[in-house]
Amino acid sequence: MELLSQIFPAQDFSLLGVILGLPAIGALVNGLFGKRLGKEAVTLMALSAIGGAFIAAVTSFCMLQHASEGAHEHVRFYYKAWEWLSLKGQGPGVADFRDVRLDVAFSLDALNATMCLVITGIGFLIHLYSSKYMEHDPGYYRFFTYLNLFVFSMLVLVLGDSLPILFVGWEGVGLCSYLLIGFWFSEEANASAGKKAFITNRIGDFGLLVAMGLLAYYVGALDWVGIDEGRGQLLKAVKIWPVGDHVPIANLMPEGVKASLNEARYVSRATLVALALFLGAMGKSAQFILHVWLPDAMAGPTPVSALIHAATMVTAGVYLLCRLSGVMVLSPTAMFIVAAFGAFTAFFAATVALVQNDIKKVLAYSTVSQLGYMFLGVGVGAFTAGFFHVLTHAFFKACLFLGAGSVIHAMHARIHDTDQSQDMRNMGGMAKFMPGTFITFVAAWAAIVGTPLTSGFFSKDEILYKAKTSFITGPDQIPVAEMRSLSIDNFVWTESMGTGLYLVGWAAAIMTAFYMTRLVIGTFLGDFKGWKIVDGWQDPHAHDAHGHDAHDVHGHDHDTHGHDHDGHADDVPHHHHETPGVDHMDGPVPHESPWQMTLPLWILGGLAAFAGFFNAGALYHITHAESLISLEHWLHPVFSSASQVVQERESAHGFFWVGLSLAIVAWLSGVLFAGWMYIQKQGVPAAQLQARFPQVHAFLFDKWRVDEFYQETVIGALDSLAEICVWFDRWVVDGILARASAFLISLVGALLRQFQNGRVQTYSAFTAFGLFLVGCYVITPHDAARVTSNHLTGKYAIAATPGFGYSYRWDADGDEKGEWDSKKFGSRAEVDFDLEVNATRVVRLQVMNALGAVNEQKFEITRPAPSADEQPALRLEMTEEGLKQARPRAAGRDAARPGIGQPSAGPTGQMRPTAPGKQHPPTLDRRAAPHGASPSHGAEH
Amino acid sequence: MNLSTVIEHYLFLSTVVFTIGAIGFLVRRNILVQLMSIELMLNSVNLLLVAFNRQHTSNMSGQMFAFFIIAVAAAEVAVGLAIVLQFYRLRATVNSDKATELRH
Repeated sequence: MELLSQIFPAQDFSLLGVILGLPAIGALVNGLFGKRLGKEAVTLMALSAIGGAFIAAVTSFCMLQHASEGAHEHVRFYYKAWEWLSLKGQGPGVADFRDVRLDVAFSLDALNATMCLVITGIGFLIHLYSSKYMEHDPGYYRFFTYLNLFVFSMLVLVLGDSLPILFVGWEGVGLCSYLLIGFWFSEEANASAGKKAFITNRIGDFGLLVAMGLLAYYVGALDWVGIDEGRGQLLKAVKIWPVGDHVPIANLMPEGVKASLNEARYVSRATLVALALFLGAMGKSAQFILHVWLPDAMAGPTPVSALIHAATMVTAGVYLLCRLSGVMVLSPTAMFIVAAFGAFTAFFAATVALVQNDIKKVLAYSTVSQLGYMFLGVGVGAFTAGFFHVLTHAFFKACLFLGAGSVIHAMHARIHDTDQSQDMRNMGGMAKFMPGTFITFVAAWAAIVGTPLTSGFFSKDEILYKAKTSFITGPDQIPVAEMRSLSIDNFVWTESMGTGLYLVGWAAAIMTAFYMTRLVIGTFLGDFKGWKIVDGWQDPHAHDAHGHDAHDVHGHDHDTHGHDHDGHADDVPHHHHETPGVDHMDGPVPHESPWQMTLPLWILGGLAAFAGFFNAGALYHITHAESLISLEHWLHPVFSSASQVVQERESAHGFFWVGLSLAIVAWLSGVLFAGWMYIQKQGVPAAQLQARFPQVHAFLFDKWRVDEFYQETVIGALDSLAEICVWFDRWVVDGILARASAFLISLVGALLRQFQNGRVQTYSAFTAFGLFLVGCYVITPHDAARVTSNHLTGKYAIAATPGFGYSYRWDADGDEKGEWDSKKFGSRAEVDFDLEVNATRVVRLQVMNALGAVNEQKFEITRPAPSADEQPALRLEMTEEGLKQARPRAAGRDAARPGIGQPSAGPTGQMRPTAPGKQHPPTLDRRAAPHGASPSHGAEH
Repeated sequence: MNLSTVIEHYLFLSTVVFTIGAIGFLVRRNILVQLMSIELMLNSVNLLLVAFNRQHTSNMSGQMFAFFIIAVAAAEVAVGLAIVLQFYRLRATVNSDKATELRH
């Protein structure tokens, strides 16, 4: 042990890597190479992977036990694989900077060590079982790949040290559940069942993600240690209504309604987080609203049902709530909701199981019902009791499912139809064909109905007792930094609520006893009713003459069972004297399963019967022997922080004996009533009840019509939404955006295409026409002119466009007489003039081209008053020296020369001093150009 | 002789011939006639150039350019006739309305 502690120190416990890695390797190898490896190799790989993981789990468990002896705090082995990422952000308070580290890390403490044992142990047994059950299936290697992958994901889930890692495993098991339920996906019903499971899970996962977000925001940590330390932050109130300051439509309401609408409502943060976590657990563990996937999941192979939907995956929700028990108990409201849902689920599923005929469906609803018990236990604060029920349920339910699988395996020999071979009405009398299965099934049955001293009795009784007597008090008992009293949520857990929970659970217990006994009787006792259903089989009593033929045709299905035929092949009258199906069997006889299938049954049956003594609560109450509640002691450090607020009512002591006797009454009444109805009265009263209350029976048989309700509401709404989107896609997106625009373009194209007739003459005609238009443009006289204005100095110049053969006439003299300056058109292309401040001059220009066409243009020039932000430096007097230097500057872009107060470029880039009298004509002045001379163009200097 | 009035005659003639050629090209269906119309246009321009050259005798560019036009016209006719021949082989007609290969 010391050596092991040295190799695997508590802070770097790499055995966890071994536990996780072996199934992962198994899945990888089988997945990639399974087809080529062959059946034996695949089996060996898968079994050794899980077997190795089991051995590692046992080793870890022992090491943990060793380390916990004498330790006063919560012992945890920790293993960090690598760093993933960290989330940085702002929490609710000003000083709350969050740096939430997400590492891929795993930890082992008492709670998940136990879970690991269950997962790997029962996983190994089921792998062993499947090696025979799925022997003839063509997808053999695929099955083991998925099973190994499932075990890996489940281990990630329970071993994860933080919520994100748990979520990775959570999604992984959801995926594997989908893959395994839809294993025989060529049947549409199986594929749909797989989808249903995954989608329903996903709805729950939304809750888990919301919870993670809330925890990261409020608490700032997502790993177990961090959450435990920071959970005091959850004891503050959060305003959930109205969003913002007021409700918008409230203004339309009368005063009283408006006031109550706008009234702020608060819950504690812990309630929000706990309810979100519960939503996640609801999806995974099939509680009432999201339970619909579990019965459909029976479409998968029976070992899958045993492993996933009885022992491991569905308990992930319970594990989550147990793991975060410290957070859950901060909100008594949420805990009560959990307990109420659990109790109701237990009751509801039990009523449905009463009338089902398919063995697997009965077991499925039984699973839902028992899960309800687990949540009832967890909800009232009895975490150990709830978790113990997880363990015992894993044992007896897995045993029941594997036993049912064994029976179905045998029935398949006679009835190849899936639904018929699972129907109880075709069974009966299996006890004498499969004694081993029968005995183990009875052991598990005894546990589930609550036979005293079996495991199921202790766990269920403890839960019911705690339901009545346990409750959650306010968080003022928790020694955390900031506390608010219970009044945040205004929830008081009264004694009557506890009693209510107890009564519902007790009723469910009676029903459990009843329907399970009915199942055992229908399957194993009585006469075998399945001899009428074999394909092509004919009743030998009806056709004596054909008795021989009937035998020969079908009698050789199973050679190993054909020995029956030899006895009566030539003995036709033999049939008349014997009761068919009981004294001898026509056709293949149901037979006991091979050892790989029965050994797990024996192990699980034994555990179902005797594992109760790990936490025999009832006996402990009587004898007070500490060794009887070893599980409670083992798990005590895990739940210590939560148990501080779990209190017991004063009436608890008195209730103990009442509760014990009520539990035994429930067991006896259920079993005896079922025995009377189905053995003594051959099921006649049941048939009569069904005939008298057909609607009640139909309601229960149709599982309370929850699926139909969802179909109408949720799925119907989604279908309508899809219809609307289809309409939108077809008419708006396709119609308007795609087809209409394409149509428009093709229309324009069809129009334009008329011009393309391929004839050169047409083209040249267009060319000629275009040339003509260009010519017209060229020939008209252009009267645009360029105005150069200098507002600072008041000098303005207008230069007309030059052109071939142009002559100009101006009216630029400033008088308003409207006369032209010269009568004839001249070649002067430019005028310039000065303006005073705020003066306006209207200048008119007439342009005539060589052909005599004339165009006129008018310019209105205003000199604005100088604005306030003009640079005063312009007003500086400049010396002669500065002036000389100014000139070349105006012309070009020389580098700045030293001059007095020369500011850089002004509005026009030309600096002029304002000294009057010193004028520099900026342009050449052309006046009265001579006639006939070649036209001159106004030129800049 | 007063050259300045004579230039208008040449201008007028050249314009008329050019217009005849242009309209002939756009209207007539026979490809050979279209080719002839093109020649008419080219020659009218030649006439005009030479006429202007006669008016401004110092600048020889008019006659030079006329030579260019003659050469180019000859080359163009050669190629054009080759195309017409090939078209005839293809379509057994010289009706340009049938030359719609480049139609949409």
